[in-house]
Formats: sequence, structure tokens, C-alpha cells
Amino acid sequence: MSSSPDAKTWSDEDRELRGQRMTVVRPLRVLARLIAINIGVSLIYRAELVLFTLANLTIPLISLMIWHAALRGGARLPVDEHYLGTYFVVLGLVTMLTSSWMMGELAGDIRLGVLSSWLVRPSAAWLRYVANNLAEKILKLTIVLPVVGILWWIYRDSVALPSSPLIWLAFLVSTAFAAILVFALDLAAGALAFWFDDVSALSQAKFTLSTILSGQVVPLALMPAWSQTFVDVQPFRFMVSFPIEVLTNTFSRGELLGGLALQAGYVVLFCGLAWLTWRAGVRSYTAVGG
Amino acid sequence: MWTANVPERNHVGGSRMMQVLKHLGLFRRFVVQAAVRETHYRMNLITATMVALVQIGLGLLPVFVMFQFASEINGWSRAEVVAMSGAYQMVSGILTTFVRPNMMYLGRYIVRGELDGVLLRPVASQFFVTFRWINLAELVHVVIGSALLVAGIALSNARPSIVDIVQAAVLLLCGVVLVTCAWSAAMYLIFWMQRVYPLIMMFQSVLEAGRYPITFFPALVRVLLTCAVPVAFATTFPVQALADGIGWTPVVAGPVLCLVAVWLLRRYWTYVLRLYSSASS
Repeated sequence: MSSSPDAKTWSDEDRELRGQRMTVVRPLRVLARLIAINIGVSLIYRAELVLFTLANLTIPLISLMIWHAALRGGARLPVDEHYLGTYFVVLGLVTMLTSSWMMGELAGDIRLGVLSSWLVRPSAAWLRYVANNLAEKILKLTIVLPVVGILWWIYRDSVALPSSPLIWLAFLVSTAFAAILVFALDLAAGALAFWFDDVSALSQAKFTLSTILSGQVVPLALMPAWSQTFVDVQPFRFMVSFPIEVLTNTFSRGELLGGLALQAGYVVLFCGLAWLTWRAGVRSYTAVGG
Repeated sequence: MWTANVPERNHVGGSRMMQVLKHLGLFRRFVVQAAVRETHYRMNLITATMVALVQIGLGLLPVFVMFQFASEINGWSRAEVVAMSGAYQMVSGILTTFVRPNMMYLGRYIVRGELDGVLLRPVASQFFVTFRWINLAELVHVVIGSALLVAGIALSNARPSIVDIVQAAVLLLCGVVLVTCAWSAAMYLIFWMQRVYPLIMMFQSVLEAGRYPITFFPALVRVLLTCAVPVAFATTFPVQALADGIGWTPVVAGPVLCLVAVWLLRRYWTYVLRLYSSASS
């Protein structure tokens, strides 16, 4: 085959273009397929999914009733009924959207060598955890949204949702950031199983720390005054509490943008951390089985 | 299907008294075996202790935060709500020691068809599936919880009499029996559902409400927590008995309700057994 210099440039450029497209498009196609598979698997146990989701909504509901009782019982809280109502009605939704549950699974895959069969495939092995995360969230959303809607209706007098679309946009952005943040931390912590046999104690510690500091037990606005400065800047706040705070509409424009910037900073930091741990782990990985 | 048609009495034999003694003896064997198993996993006790301490801390945090802003809520002082946390930890400790392991096993029995093996044994099958497995390390929760209960009551300046203490003990025991019955009833849904863990999670989430006095909840939820998931008997009533005195009505009602609940649960078990078609053969 004869090739003019002109044709050669073309094919090179073409190949380069194709390469670029493949690095973006192919993983996305793989991801979409994996999500579809995960949805199919989850749909086998529909009742399980419904019960799991309802169970997770129970605790915020109990908190809501308790804090309402405290308010009616004469407690002088630094926040009003609307803040508490909005906070706890939305808490279940945001916790679901930002949660990640891969740590135990990833640790098991590393220890048992399951990861090997994913590492040899022509796509990033961690995509499988992203797919599982997104697939379950899509399904859970179909359960959580109606339930939160009913809760909102029951507590409609004490829930104040903002009307400004900009606030809703900020809420969506910060929820997405929060989800990435939680996932990156989970990936980084789970990847420690490349070096340690048992990460369950670490997982427990992470769980405890994050449930308190992300505002799932008590709204961070109610934390003692002396801890307020620390509570406001620590990363866990941006994993659950911050998106809800955005929605309660208590921020000035400056506070909102500052918070989003800090959150974006944490996203970059935690993704970097996850990437470094994962890369170092995979390089040192010598697994049995597979 | 055939197993359900064989009445349990035929398996067991002997007078009623003998049966009770035999089953008590079996329960003693279960405890001894659990104790032996525990000695194989000694580190487990340390883990359980740490987890118990963390859970107590998590449970107390909202209480302390809440009482920063009020000295009394619906007639409950901080010390009394702390005592409630202790009572809750005790009750949930008893449940995770004696009940939860069996609930975890129930799924295996049904899905893998191991219930066949249970039904063939010369014991009452419901007794067996409810009491076979015991996780003694979890008793740590009961120890720490009772310490917290005593501390809370002491701090609340209540001076319970012997009668109050007896009443509280009766109510707490009735509470445990009633919650166990409700939990079992919920778990028998496994005969339709196949997966056991979400049922356990769901029930334990609702049980969390038992950390707080029932007067903190709206009327409808109060009814739910007294009748459907009767955790009020296990935590609110005993602490009330210790702190203010509660009168004899609930103390008499408790055991009666227990008898009714156990009777209903036995009927329910014979019903679900009829649905069971062995998975192993």
C-alpha cells in the first residue's frame, strides 16, 4: 500500500482523535453497561431494597419528632421550627444520595483476589464500584422521593423550601460534590486493604466519626458553641450537612460561594488522595486466587 | 409440605411439665455451648466493649446537645433521659445477645431448606429457631447499660423504693418479651421474602425510638410504640417506675399482654409453617 505524507498525517491525527474519544467514551459506555447490570441484579430483591431504604429514613424521622418535642417542650434552640423541619425531612434524601457502602466490599475483593479479574479487564477496575453506587441510588430514589414527599406534606407547616431556582441549583451541585467526596473517602479508606488484612475497625471508626461530624445525629448548627469553628470547616460537614444547609436558605451569597469553594477544594483533595492510594495499592498488589 | 401436618406434640412426647424441663435443659446447653464458643474468640469481647461504648456515646450526644437548651422537656430531666439511654442499651443488649443471632439464622433455615432439619428434631421447632443461638459477648451492652441506668437515676435525685425497683424489673422483662414477639412476627415475613437482613435493619431502626420517652412522640406514634413495636414497655415504663413511680396498672397489664403475644405468635408460627415447602429436597 502506498501512502502519501498527506494521508499519513490524516490517519495519525485520526488515530489520535479516536484515542482521545475512546478514553472518554469507552469508560462511559462500560459504566452505563455496568449500571444496567447492577440495576438488574438489585431488581431481583425488590422488597429488600424497599425495606433498606425505609429503614434508613426511620432514624431522621425519629430525630425530627424528638427535636420538635424539644421545641414544643420549651427548649430555646438557636434554630427555629422551619430549619429543623426542613433539615430532617431532607436529611434522609441527602444521606441516601451521598452515601457510599463500598469499603467492606472493596476490602473483601482485595483480600480474596476477586479484584484480579477486574484489573485485567480493559477498563478501570474501580468503575465497578461507581456503577454499583449509581445504580442503587437511581433505584432508591424512586422509593425515597415519594416518602420524602409524604413527610413534606405531613410536616408542610414546618418545612420551608426555597423558591429561588439558583438555591436549588446550588443544592444539586453541592449534593453531587458531597457524593463524590464520600465516595472518594470510601475508596481511599477501602484501598488501605491493599496493605492491611482487616479494615473493619477502621470502617467502624470512620462511620462513627462521619455520622457525628456530618450532621446525621444532630444538626451541626446545634453543636456546642466552643466547637462551632472546627465543625464549620471540617470535611465531614460537606458530606451531608452542607447541601441541606444550602436548602434551608440561611446563607448570605458570600457564605454560599465560600462554602461551595471549600467543598470543591475538599473534592479535589480527597479525589487526589483516593487516586494516590489506589495507584500505589494496585502496583503493590499480589493477589491470590481470582 | 408434609412436615406442617405433623403436630409438634407427636415429636416431643411426655407430660407438659417434662417438656418444659427438657426445653429449659436444652436452653442451658445452648448457653454452655455459646460460652465455650466465646472462649475461642477472646478478642471479640474487646471489640464488643468498644462498640458498646461508641454506641452509648452516639446515643447520649443528642441528649446532651438537647439539654444545653432546656432543663426539662415534657416533664423529663436530663438525668432521667440519660437513664432512658441506659435502659435502651440494656434492652438492646439482651436482644442482641439472645434474639438477634437467631433472627440472622432464620434466613438460612428457610432459604437453604435447613428448617427441614429443625422440624425433624424432637424439640418444639419455634423454641429452637428462637433460642438456638446466643452471642454472649453482647452482654457487655447490658453491663454498661445498667451502669448508665443506675447513674442516671442517682443523678435525678429519685429514690426508688424496693417496690419501684421490682415494678421496673417486671416491666423491663415484659418489654423484652413483647419486643421479641413483635420482632419474631416481623421476621416470619421471611417465608414470603427470602432475605432476612433488611427485616432486621428495619426493626432495629424503629426500635431506636426506644431511646427517648414516648411522651416525646406524637399520639399516633405513641400508640405504635406501645402496641405494635412495644418498646415503651422495655424502656419508658421502667424508667418512669424508678423515677416517679408508675402504679400497678401497667405492671399487671405487661404479663397479660405477654401471654397474649406469645399465644398469637405460636398460632402465627403454625400458620407460616404450612407455607413452608422444603428448599432442600
